[in-house]
Amino acid sequence: MLLQVKELWKSFGGLIAVCDVNLQVNSDEIVSIIGPNGAGKSTLFNLITGHISLDKGAVFFKDRNITSMPPHEISSLGIGRSFQKINIFPRLTSFQNVQVALFSATGLSRSLFSKAKLLLSEKVQDILESVGLADQARTLGGLLAHGDQKRLEIGIALALNPELLLLDEPTQGMSAAETAQTTELIYRLSKSRGIGLAFVEHDMKVVFSISDKIYVMHQGAMIFCGKPEEVRCNEEVQRVYLGKEKDSAAKS
Amino acid sequence: MEEIKDKLELLRGRIPRAILFAIFCAFMIALPALIGKSWLNITVEMLIMALAACSLNLMLGYTGMVSFGPAGLYAVGAYTTGILLAKLGTGIVPAMIAAPIMAAIVGWGVGWICVRRTQVYFALLTLAFAQIIWTIIFEWYPVTGGDDGLVSIPTPDFFFSITNSYYFCLVLVASCIYAIWRIVNSPFGGTLQAIRENPGRVEFIGVNVKRYQLAAFVLSSLFLGVAGSLYCVFSGSAFPDYAHWTKSTDMLVICLLGGIYNFSGPIVGTAVYTILIKTISKHTMQWNLILGVIVVLLVLLMRNGVVGFLSQKLSRHR
Repeated sequence: MLLQVKELWKSFGGLIAVCDVNLQVNSDEIVSIIGPNGAGKSTLFNLITGHISLDKGAVFFKDRNITSMPPHEISSLGIGRSFQKINIFPRLTSFQNVQVALFSATGLSRSLFSKAKLLLSEKVQDILESVGLADQARTLGGLLAHGDQKRLEIGIALALNPELLLLDEPTQGMSAAETAQTTELIYRLSKSRGIGLAFVEHDMKVVFSISDKIYVMHQGAMIFCGKPEEVRCNEEVQRVYLGKEKDSAAKS
Repeated sequence: MEEIKDKLELLRGRIPRAILFAIFCAFMIALPALIGKSWLNITVEMLIMALAACSLNLMLGYTGMVSFGPAGLYAVGAYTTGILLAKLGTGIVPAMIAAPIMAAIVGWGVGWICVRRTQVYFALLTLAFAQIIWTIIFEWYPVTGGDDGLVSIPTPDFFFSITNSYYFCLVLVASCIYAIWRIVNSPFGGTLQAIRENPGRVEFIGVNVKRYQLAAFVLSSLFLGVAGSLYCVFSGSAFPDYAHWTKSTDMLVICLLGGIYNFSGPIVGTAVYTILIKTISKHTMQWNLILGVIVVLLVLLMRNGVVGFLSQKLSRHR
């Protein structure tokens, strides 16, 4: 098992954000987490990656307890992440965005006197190509189109050669065509590189088209987990989240 | 193949800049023959201030850390050299080598505490520590001379000639600025810039952000120590003023004026600031007021400083 989350609890003051959540992701598996806004999905990711501390429970990555590790150590272990709000380096070019992540992955960040400009450029270009941004290498991150920025996020996460990718709403704000492209991209990346993938999504087409397993969250708790067909038919899930989408999801 | 193509393209863009740079170097080398002694004096002060500003900008423009205390480390450098020369009678070489080492050590201690906090709190902590350094200098009369300062510091006869002092400063400042240039263009420098852009994201590419911020602080302190030491030798004195927050704000204004996102920004800013002060103060007693107004106008109209403004204009015409 690649990632195991056991009985996770987190509250902010009086508000219980995550309540007794259990989650498992295997290598080569695509898992999606769905639920209404405020269900605690992003908080769950933040707890796994060490951005916020948890109250109770444990997180295991490849059987290693990573519960109280700081984010920079967790990411060095092989967990890559993209964020809900665009989280790139706006005044650096796409090339530099990916390059700086590669510096960290190869231990070059500490190098004080070598020239950074063309270092590792083949690897950077490879990654940019795999996320479809090869022709935007020289564009400043902040000037990219929204969909391209989202893909750059994935590129940055890939630079660390992760075994597990956590993507928080990877198709948010994208057009239908961009969404289809990105869905195909993350499916291909996961299956071809054997990367375990867990992603949060609101677009049910994306969720049902590539997920091996779906977790449903509501008000901080995991209310259901199962294969896409099981999720579609579950009454509680329909009531809480899918609702009218049941018909359109059944058609896709 | 791609790498060779990229390198050729870089060279093509570099040739006009290389020519300009060569002309600038020739100008700086020939300067003592071109200008009078008083302007040469001012140029030496500008060189030293340019180094201090570049050192500060390593933190400010490249890592996004706004420090209100660079003068503190500058003064540590100045006083280390001054005390070694005046009170302990050491030679000039050990006195000048000890300065950046001492500044780096103090910078490490101060920086370790300051990077525990971010943004405004970081800035306030740096200001507080600079004031602590000022107070220590001011009160520790037996060692630092208190508010009398250290005067008539014995320096080798070599420095009696302003031309010698100029070339000495030019070589040392140029070497240090070159070292800073190599640092900001290294993978380490790239990581610092990423930290400036988005420290939270950098945590999640496996980088211990606080450690890198501390490293930037220490490196910045080291070069500030060199600048302070140089000024002590050049002026033959050291005063508590060197650590005062007004000196820190001078350095900050210089960086902002020139442009913090360009390497040459602090250097151009130093030239503009110094020339403005010297020219305005010749014409009026209220030069501080006029300078203030001009600086406010420049900062409002040129959002990325003089160099930033010029490079935007130039890239539009290309």
